[in-house]
Amino acid sequence: MNCLYQTKRISDLKEKMLSSKRYASIEQARIITCVYQENEDLSIPKKRALSLKAALEELEIAVEDEELIVGNRTKGVRYGVVFPESGCSWINQEFETLPTRPQDQFLVKEEDIKEFREKIYPYWQGKSLEDAIKGTYGKEINEISKVVKINQKDHAQGHICPNSALWLKLGPQGLIEKAKEKLKNCQEDQKEFYECTILVLEGTIHFMQRYHDLIVQENHEELQEVGKICFNLSKRPPETFHEAVQSLWFLFVILHMESNASSFSPGRLDQYLYPYYQRDIENGILDQQKALEILECLWLKFNQIVYLRNQNSAKYFAGFPIGFNIAIGGVDEKGNDTYNELSLLCLKAQEHLGLPQPNLSVRLNKNTSHELMQAAIKVVSLGSGMPQFFNDEAIIHSMIEDLDIEEKDARNYAIVGCVELTTHGNNLGWSDAAMFNFNKVLELTLNHGRCLLTNKQIGLDLGSLETYETYQDLEKAFQKQIDYFIDKMMDAEKVVEKAHQDYLPTAFLSTVIDDCLEKGLDVTRGGAKYNLSGIQMIQVANLADSLAAIKELVYQEKMISKHELLEALKADFKGYEIIQTMLLNKVPKYGNDVAWVDELGSKWTSYFREKMKHYTNYRGGRYHTGMYTVSAHVPMGENVGASPDGRNALKPLADGGMSPVYGRDKQGPTAVLKSVSRLNNSCTTNGGLLNMKFLPEFFKTETGCLKFENFLRAFVDLKVPHIQFNVVRKEELLDAKVHPENHQSLTIRVAGYTAYFVELAGKLQDEIIERTTYENI
Amino acid sequence: MKSLKEQPMKTSKALVFDIKRFAVHDGHGLRTTVFFKGCPLRCRWCQNPEGLEKKRQVLYFKTKCIHCRCCQQFNEHIDYRDRPYFKENQNDFEQVIKACPSGAIQYDSKEYDLDTLLSKIKEDEVFYKHGGGVTFSGGEPFMQGDFLVKILKRCKEEKIHTAIETSFYTSLELIKKVLPYLDLIYIDLKLFDEKKHQRYTGVSSKIIKENIRYVLQSEHKKKVIIRTPLIPQITATDENLEAIVRYLVACNPEVKYELLNYNPLASSKYELVGKEYGIDLNYKMFDEKQMQHFYDVVLQENLKNLIRE
Repeated sequence: MNCLYQTKRISDLKEKMLSSKRYASIEQARIITCVYQENEDLSIPKKRALSLKAALEELEIAVEDEELIVGNRTKGVRYGVVFPESGCSWINQEFETLPTRPQDQFLVKEEDIKEFREKIYPYWQGKSLEDAIKGTYGKEINEISKVVKINQKDHAQGHICPNSALWLKLGPQGLIEKAKEKLKNCQEDQKEFYECTILVLEGTIHFMQRYHDLIVQENHEELQEVGKICFNLSKRPPETFHEAVQSLWFLFVILHMESNASSFSPGRLDQYLYPYYQRDIENGILDQQKALEILECLWLKFNQIVYLRNQNSAKYFAGFPIGFNIAIGGVDEKGNDTYNELSLLCLKAQEHLGLPQPNLSVRLNKNTSHELMQAAIKVVSLGSGMPQFFNDEAIIHSMIEDLDIEEKDARNYAIVGCVELTTHGNNLGWSDAAMFNFNKVLELTLNHGRCLLTNKQIGLDLGSLETYETYQDLEKAFQKQIDYFIDKMMDAEKVVEKAHQDYLPTAFLSTVIDDCLEKGLDVTRGGAKYNLSGIQMIQVANLADSLAAIKELVYQEKMISKHELLEALKADFKGYEIIQTMLLNKVPKYGNDVAWVDELGSKWTSYFREKMKHYTNYRGGRYHTGMYTVSAHVPMGENVGASPDGRNALKPLADGGMSPVYGRDKQGPTAVLKSVSRLNNSCTTNGGLLNMKFLPEFFKTETGCLKFENFLRAFVDLKVPHIQFNVVRKEELLDAKVHPENHQSLTIRVAGYTAYFVELAGKLQDEIIERTTYENI
Repeated sequence: MKSLKEQPMKTSKALVFDIKRFAVHDGHGLRTTVFFKGCPLRCRWCQNPEGLEKKRQVLYFKTKCIHCRCCQQFNEHIDYRDRPYFKENQNDFEQVIKACPSGAIQYDSKEYDLDTLLSKIKEDEVFYKHGGGVTFSGGEPFMQGDFLVKILKRCKEEKIHTAIETSFYTSLELIKKVLPYLDLIYIDLKLFDEKKHQRYTGVSSKIIKENIRYVLQSEHKKKVIIRTPLIPQITATDENLEAIVRYLVACNPEVKYELLNYNPLASSKYELVGKEYGIDLNYKMFDEKQMQHFYDVVLQENLKNLIRE
């Protein structure tokens, strides 16, 4: 493995990709609009299927000379696709500012804006997902928005791991046969579904064929082999490793074309590609170096699709997280640890490229090999923030226990998006349903249901800090306030999910998610074997710290009076600096292995998780919870006034999801892990996120790397579900802020995903710089 | 020089000035290092000046102070000018420390009984299982010898890997009591020349050398690593290193020996305890080339087991 290198082809392609300009594209929007206009009398599923087919057949395509893997959803790389079916009123408002907005900028063409305004936008008014949700429930969603952020209101959900093994086995041809077979004997109401799947699969075959034709037509000498592969794939399923990787990439390109959503994740690629790899190696038609080059070409492709978000969403998820999440290692369906040469090659590709995609994850368990550990640690030490680590010992059990997932499916879990957990190929997890801000709820509980920032009545008036006689009284009120907002949230969720069924059925996706084809049911309608919805709890660290401060300093020690604290919060601590200093220093904080503090957080996250059991989602599945914010801890913090943990109004909440508030974890990383391990794993079946930052020096010696392995093995024992590391010098980040031009390819772990540091908003940059560093080696 | 007889504190409590988790320098694996307060030596370069005095002291952290003067309300002996100044012998600071909102005024150490210290050590037990354990350091852990023996016994009962960092400036009797409970023994031998040892550490090197000879020839010899901190112009001279290694090899040709690079950061701690750092502030860490030179020097003395990172 050590003698493998990055070829010139790869460095050339990488350079070309990074230097290409990023545009917003309306090409697909034009095609979709035409199809809709020409087929006004057809149903939405039919129109959707026809417009995807048309896009597959008509979109301009291109290939690059040295590519071993071809295909994209736009002619240029890293284009942002305008997608009218999900909603484009924001595009209408923000088109001109796309090149200048704070995050995720895109260039625009004048003629595109004109065409969009004249031909596309007028048609879609009142016809998109966004309009439907706004029209029926916009007011209610807005009313709770300071506490609950309802997601997926103007784009498709994505966040799904297709059954890639099935796709590779059958190819579009085999899937068409299956659909045709089903169509023969199906019920009347399933007919349309099968017809739609056949349409999009036909388009898929055509799309593959077009790449072959283009290569022949443009006479790309070098790409003959690739052209042949595309031709073969248009006729039959893949047979070689190279064919399989190309086929896999086509799958993901088309999934993105259909949904224009974030996070279609390849999952356990080292497992399902391995038979192809192994066979080719045995047949002597492939060696490790060649396999690596093919993989690295795929890795580059993962960076060529970005996702155009609106300005507000870009603020929450800055840096184009698109979530091609790959999970290597972990146990197999029988529970035995499994990794292979491909797992190591995946790490090698990441080591060579260090790009934001794929989002590479390593699954750890008690039996993870020393070899895989050290290979992963080597990549961690390079500082791209990857791989992140997931813990089989924490995750599998709670998937079985808390979600009733079959053992073999739980063992075969994958990750979608940033850190969201899913079963492989059979699950619509709806993992980013909403974010629930505990800290805002506490604020309302302390202040008669009124917002400290605006004094508006947002929640129930159950009293205030001054009227709750005991800490228990306060907790009772807090509980009622939580319940109130959960109910409101669930009502909104139903509206959103129904709108997705009505407006964004996804026939193509449904062909690669078990059991949609069997049931004859689109994935948005509950065709998948598992139908979950995930709510994120924001943010346990601030909550635990706030409750601990109130409990100890106000109710127990009486060092601060109720009145004083409330006044201090209202004044954002202006004139109450001593109180703020006490709140910050005179009571222990979450993340320092102080059980009673950690358990305050754990109590309420567990309470919330239990509450979820009382609700069923619109697809008939379960609700569960996650603890990750991605980068939303900054804007979520902007919704919250001064808090009893000593945090000033509007300031960011703790980052990550399970991480302590930065700077408050003073006992080092082992104490952090101990604290986090006190959270109930049932709370993070939708994913948890723990951020840590280490200095590069830690990894300089072999001893350091071995100690890091010790640390990770204890992480496994402690059953903490997730951990990720930023390994980068503060000085480098500071310099990158001042001289972004010198740090174009510097990638940094934001929170669950890796982004180019220089493309992040200044506020988020500062925030990352401030995070705790463990520098004692 | 303080008499050796004074050293062991007959008490069931220990005064500890720091407990550091995730310690990665003081032995293998991930460790918790317990810093015992009090040291008979006065090395000019001491890395932990807050650990020198045997008694608990009050510290003032300038950077934490918000100048609220809460301290003054609780203790009339505090003279508040640009900052609080404490008068000596005012040992009841409990109220003041409690009242200080920022933690700027703190005791430099805390008393632990056996159970509390053991449970503190056990907090990171899950990490020790994959290599690691507890390290007793200081100060000089032998200064609280009775307690040391007891806590070591308890740690071994719990099957925790134990290490010590010591000057070995203590009685052989105590050393013999402790050795069976130690898995790893780091002993500093800083200066070979007796006069210089006196001058730079404040104590004689004779007892240290004798104790080292004893342990290097005892059944515990394999657990021992002798270390010399490289202090520019003082310990980091060819002459000194040669003499040290020659002596060690003579005691036991299999001796394990390690050189510790100079760490200039300690100087920042001195202000905190109101002491002056005895080393030129311009000295930096030795670079790779200089380190290699020192390695060459000691290797010439037939040293078989040089420990390098």
